[in-house]
Amino acid sequence: MAKYISLRLLQSVFVLFGLSLLIFFIARVVPGDPARQALGLLASQEQVERVREQMHLNDPFPVQYYYWLRSLLRGDLGVSSYTRRPVTTDLRQYIPATLELILFATLISFIIGQVTGVLAGYFRNSWFDGASRLVSYLGIATPSFVIAILLLFVFSQLLKLAPGIGRIPIMMKAPPTRTGFMMIDGLLAGRLDVTLTALKHILLPAFSLAVIHIAQEGRITRTSIVETMQKDYITLHKVHGIRTGRILFKYLLRPSIIPTVTVMGLDFAFLMSNAFLVETVYMWPGFSRYAMTAMLNKDLNAIVAVVLVIGLTFALVNLLVDIIIMFLDPTVRLRQGGA
Amino acid sequence: MPNRSPLLEVRSLHVGFRIFEGHLRVLDGVTLSVHEGERVGLVGETGCGKTTTVKSVLRVLPMPPAKVTGGEILYRGRDVLKMHRHALHILRRQELTAIFQDPLQSLNPVFTIGSQLRDIVRDSMRTPEGKPLSRREIEARCIQALEETGMPDPARIMSNYPIQLSGGMRQRVCIAEALSTNARLLLADEPTTNLDVTIQDQILRKLDRLVDQKGASVLMITHSMGVVRDLTQRIYIMYAGSVVETGPTRQLLASPRHPYTEGLMASVPRLTGRGVSEGIPGRIPNYLAPPPGCRFHPRCPHRMPECSVEAPPMFDVGADQRAACYLYRRPSP
Repeated sequence: MAKYISLRLLQSVFVLFGLSLLIFFIARVVPGDPARQALGLLASQEQVERVREQMHLNDPFPVQYYYWLRSLLRGDLGVSSYTRRPVTTDLRQYIPATLELILFATLISFIIGQVTGVLAGYFRNSWFDGASRLVSYLGIATPSFVIAILLLFVFSQLLKLAPGIGRIPIMMKAPPTRTGFMMIDGLLAGRLDVTLTALKHILLPAFSLAVIHIAQEGRITRTSIVETMQKDYITLHKVHGIRTGRILFKYLLRPSIIPTVTVMGLDFAFLMSNAFLVETVYMWPGFSRYAMTAMLNKDLNAIVAVVLVIGLTFALVNLLVDIIIMFLDPTVRLRQGGA
Repeated sequence: MPNRSPLLEVRSLHVGFRIFEGHLRVLDGVTLSVHEGERVGLVGETGCGKTTTVKSVLRVLPMPPAKVTGGEILYRGRDVLKMHRHALHILRRQELTAIFQDPLQSLNPVFTIGSQLRDIVRDSMRTPEGKPLSRREIEARCIQALEETGMPDPARIMSNYPIQLSGGMRQRVCIAEALSTNARLLLADEPTTNLDVTIQDQILRKLDRLVDQKGASVLMITHSMGVVRDLTQRIYIMYAGSVVETGPTRQLLASPRHPYTEGLMASVPRLTGRGVSEGIPGRIPNYLAPPPGCRFHPRCPHRMPECSVEAPPMFDVGADQRAACYLYRRPSP
C-alpha cells in the first residue's frame, strides 16, 4: 500500500513538472516583455534592459526556467499589476475563502447527493426516483448564478432568513487570521459568534454551487446502485440471509460509490476556478473572483499564479481521490501495490 | 420415489418478462418436486428457463421486469410466492441456499472473504437457545465451513479478497457460504460450468460429500449429462420453459422417451467416437411468440397435428418415468 502511494506521489511530481513547464511557457513565451510590464510605459529603454538582465531574461530558456522555478519554490510570484501587492499575499488572502466555500459545497453535495442517489437507485422507478430525476435535470440545466440570485432573493430579501453577502457582516470584527477559514479562525479565537455568523453566510453560496453537483453525483450513484443490484453477489447476499440494512449500506453502497468519488474530486477542483459567478453574486472575497479579475486585467503574474494554483489543486485532488479509492476498492490496491 | 410430501414443490409455474418489444413468456408451466434428502437434476439447453426457475424459488427475480403469471412454489407446503418479507428472510436464513454458476461474480469484490462469511453466519445462525452467536463462535463456524470444502489455510483465506483467489478457490468459498448455515435445500445453478475441467470433478465430489454429510436436499441445474449421472437420483428435462420428461436418472438416460430428450442424448459426444452428432435441427423458440401447443413441435421429427393445438400433459412411459408427448398417449378404450 505504501508502495502504491509513493508511486502515485512520484507520478504527481511528474505532472507538476509538466505543469510548471506549461506555466513557464505562458509566462515567458507569449508576446509581451515582462520587464517592460513590471516597470510600466514610462521607464526608459536602459532601465528595462537592466531589469531584463536582473530577471535573467536574456539567458537561454532552460536557464530562465531554472531561475523562474527557483523563485517560484521560494514563494516569490512577483507583484500583481492590478492589486499592486505581491501575488503570494493575494493568494494567501483569497484561497482560504474559496476553499472554505467549496469544501462546504462539496460536503453538502456529498451528503444530499449520496442519500438521494442510494434511495433512488434502491427504489428504482418509484415516485421518489421520478421526482429526484426531475429535480436533478432542473438542477443540471440551471446555471449556478441563476440559482444564486434566486436563493439570495428568496431567503435573504423576501424571507429574511439568511444574511446576504460577504463572509461576515462588515461591522463585525474579524478574528485574527490563522487558517484563513473564517469558521475555524472563529473557533480558534474562542469566538463562537463569528463561527455561527460565518456558517449562516456560507450556506446560500455553498448551496448555490452544490446544486449542480448534487444532481450529477446523485445520478451517478443511482446508476451505479442499479447496476450493482443486478450483480450475482448481491442476489447471493440476500439468499444467504444477510440483513437488508447491512446489504444496503455495506455491501451495496461501497462498490457503488467508487465512480462517484472520482467525479466528486473533479467537481471540487472544477469549482476552484468556476465559482466566480456565485462569488460575485454573494460578494465573496474568493480566489475564483480574483482569477477572473486577473484575466480581465491581463495581470500576468497573477494569471501565472492562478493557473499554478488550479493545476496544483487538480493534481492534489486526484492524488487524494486515488488514495480514497484505494481504500474503498481492494482490487486497485492489490493490482497496483503488488500485494 | 419416497411417498412423503415433498420438501419443494413447484406447480405449473408461469413466469414472464416485460420488455420493450413485448411480453416474454419464459416459464410455461414448470412442475417439479424435490423430496427430503433427495438429489434432483434439472437439465436443459442454455436459455430454457432453468435459472429463471431457481431464481423464482429463491424469489430473487427482479420484478419488474419479471412477473409470475401463474402457479405456485410450495416449500414444506407453504407458498413462497405469497410469503411476507419476514417469513421470506427466515426461509432464506434457515432453509434455502444457493450456489451460482460464475464464482467470479458470486463474491463481493470489495470485501474480504471473512467479512462476507461472518455476516452470513452472524445474521443466519442462532445458538440452540435462540441467542446470537458470540464472536468466537462465528469465527470458528466460518473456519470450519471453509475447512469442510477442502480449502487449505482457511484462516488466511478469511483475510483475502476474492481477486486474490483462483476460480476454483472462489467456488469453494461459495460452497462454504452456502453450506455454512446448515440449510436444508441447496439450489446449485451450474456450479462447475465456469471452472477448469480438471477442477470441476474435484469440486463436484467435494460438494457431493458435503451435502451427504449435512443431509441436505439438492436441486442441481446443469446441462452436463455427466454431472447428473454422477450426482442425482432423479432428473427433469426442460425445454423452452417447461418440463418435458422426468424419471429416475439412470433409467431415463438409458431409455429417453421424449423426442427432445432423445435428441439431447444423441447430441452428447461419446468417447467411443462415432463422429460428431448432428444435434437437433432448429433452435430454441422465440419467447415473444412461442409456438402454440407443444413448444418443441417445430423441431420434432414425430410431430402430429394435435401437437400445435394443445400442449400435451405428462404420460407414463415407464416405472416413475413420464414424458409430455402425444406419442405416449394411451389409446382410448
